[in-house]
Amino acid sequence: MDITVLQLIINGLLLGGMYALISIGLTLIFGVLEIINFAHGEFLMLAMYAAFWLFQLYGIDPYLSMVIILPLFFLIGVLVQRVTIQPIINAPPLNQIFMTVGLSMVLQNVALFVWTADYRTVKTTYSGLTLKTAGLLISFPRLVAFLLAMGLIAALLIFLKKTYTGKAIRALAQERKAAMLMGINVYRTYQIAFGIGSACVGAAGAMLIPVYFVFPSVGSLFVLIAFVVVILGGYNSLTGSLVGGLIIGVVEAFSGFFISPHLKEAIYFVIFILILLFKPTGLFGRA
Amino acid sequence: MKKRTIGFLVAALLALGLLVSTPGMAAETWRIGALFPFTGSLALLGNESFNGAVIAQDMVNEKGGIQGKKVEWEKADGVDPKKAMTECERLIALEKIKLVFGTYSSSLSYAASEVTERNKVIYWEQGAIADNITARGFKYLFRTIPRAGDFGNLAVNFANEVVAPKLKMDAKKMKVGIMFEDSLYGTTVGNSAAKKAKELGMDVVATESYSHKTVDLSSVVMIFKAKNPDVVIATSYMEDAILFWRQAKEMDLNVKVFIGTGAGHGMPEWARIFGNEANYIFNIDPPIGINPKVFKGNTLAVLNDFRERFNKKFGHYPATHATAGFMAAHLLFEVVLPKAGSLDPEAVRKAALEVDIPEGGTVFGFGVKFAPPDNPAAGQNLRGIPVLMQWQEQKLWVVYPASFAVREPLLPLPTWEERAKGVTKFIK
Repeated sequence: MDITVLQLIINGLLLGGMYALISIGLTLIFGVLEIINFAHGEFLMLAMYAAFWLFQLYGIDPYLSMVIILPLFFLIGVLVQRVTIQPIINAPPLNQIFMTVGLSMVLQNVALFVWTADYRTVKTTYSGLTLKTAGLLISFPRLVAFLLAMGLIAALLIFLKKTYTGKAIRALAQERKAAMLMGINVYRTYQIAFGIGSACVGAAGAMLIPVYFVFPSVGSLFVLIAFVVVILGGYNSLTGSLVGGLIIGVVEAFSGFFISPHLKEAIYFVIFILILLFKPTGLFGRA
Repeated sequence: MKKRTIGFLVAALLALGLLVSTPGMAAETWRIGALFPFTGSLALLGNESFNGAVIAQDMVNEKGGIQGKKVEWEKADGVDPKKAMTECERLIALEKIKLVFGTYSSSLSYAASEVTERNKVIYWEQGAIADNITARGFKYLFRTIPRAGDFGNLAVNFANEVVAPKLKMDAKKMKVGIMFEDSLYGTTVGNSAAKKAKELGMDVVATESYSHKTVDLSSVVMIFKAKNPDVVIATSYMEDAILFWRQAKEMDLNVKVFIGTGAGHGMPEWARIFGNEANYIFNIDPPIGINPKVFKGNTLAVLNDFRERFNKKFGHYPATHATAGFMAAHLLFEVVLPKAGSLDPEAVRKAALEVDIPEGGTVFGFGVKFAPPDNPAAGQNLRGIPVLMQWQEQKLWVVYPASFAVREPLLPLPTWEERAKGVTKFIK
């Protein structure tokens, strides 16, 4: 195969891994709580700031900082769910949308106020590091993000399959009332699900900061793609968001190169519309 | 009942106040409309631009004004294009303003100047750079600042006059890659660069646009790697400028010359984020920090006086926007209005078209000659040019045109491998 095509596949997969990573948390919250979390991008932004400041102030490597960021974002998720989502869990979808959109605006503007609109980056030893093999270039931090995304998804799948809490989360995602009748503590499980979703986006933030940069509205750049990925994958399937992320990544790399960088977003949004029209449940979703 | 009486009284008093205050003043001062976004999201640079003009007003009024009459602003707040138009109408109809000074933002200027032109009132544009403002054949519109398209042209001229001879290349064989973000700003600059490069017979191997909100520019990097341009001309905002340069490093894209055209590549953040990797990138912006030798007559003294006064009044030294406001107002107060003798639009128009200032005659270093009404760029200052700077030691230095330059341009751009080893092989 042509080396350019191989390189495009690599670029696309690495990009897709990043998209998958960001979409996992959204899928979990979407699938279980049936709430569209418009503040997801702002959680990502906060996680990137967390990783940035941990590096800047204490010299903690972004990958290592996950030890702090994962539990921290789990707790933040639980708290946010308890305070803002829980009271409106049975409210009409419109109210829930207003709540999460409002939350996203508040977080964005607080970040703007506290940290200003400056673009911030971390400079690690591996920031621009590239592995060269057989004429192919693989960005090291992107590869790490890709592999960690795989690991995270595998761990989550095992957790959901094997543990009691995992099973409870799946039961809730399938049928809320029946789960309640089976004696599952619904509110506690919701909090845990939201917490795990936030922890995932926390991990994504820590892995993104070595290749990307953070500013208060950075979340809005990623969240739109995350929604496309979630719909493509089937809104409650983790495997789906992985495959969906990779597909979007590869489509973007190829359409950007062969058609035009100008049209790459348009092309994956066309895919988005086609999926909604012909297979609204997504690739891995159930009807 | 009582409330209504008070309300009526207040209204009557206000009306009386308006009647008394406005007409009588006109004869004793030069009343000029100042249309800027004083509030709202554009307020920061809107106010900064106007503050530059305020210093010009202070300077002329201290000398006793123009022909014995002081200059006075009638401020109007144009926060968006619609408001800019209604404010412009108010200035003309109620305040009897004959000359509007503005506006910094291109969309505001474009809308408001429709109103002035219709009413045969002068519009003096100091800072909006969109090409289309002076492409409508307007007779009462004048713009002192260079256009966005001039940025693209300058990049190509530099490639043609400096890069080609230095690299011992035939300019006609030089491969040029152009990338730009796809809003009006990037599109205007990118297309003007592509057009100019083709006019000069250069080989434009890629013209790629993208949304500045994208999170991945690897496709642009890949296209450049495949087409292998010698010179890349880029028009980017900050986020896409950072993203591209990071991905260019990740994917080992090496070009001989990289020219940014304002915005992203000219911000202090560029150096803060990239450190030494920011070096040797070129950037084009209005002329600030140029070689003082270019100034003629007392221009340098005027510039220094302006800078000190500005710092004293506003607490910081003026940058591009404030200087643009000052330059346009100073030209108006010192050259155009004294010659016109009144604010009559026909007289001001005639005086403006007669202005002929050579290079070195304004605080921006460039000269002034407005395009006549039959020119496709009617009202544009044809001598207005930006300058090319280069990041050296993480600071911007003017390197082109030669008369404005404070340093020599260094080329070619070191490859990423050379950067990692810390070696540079510049051509003398």
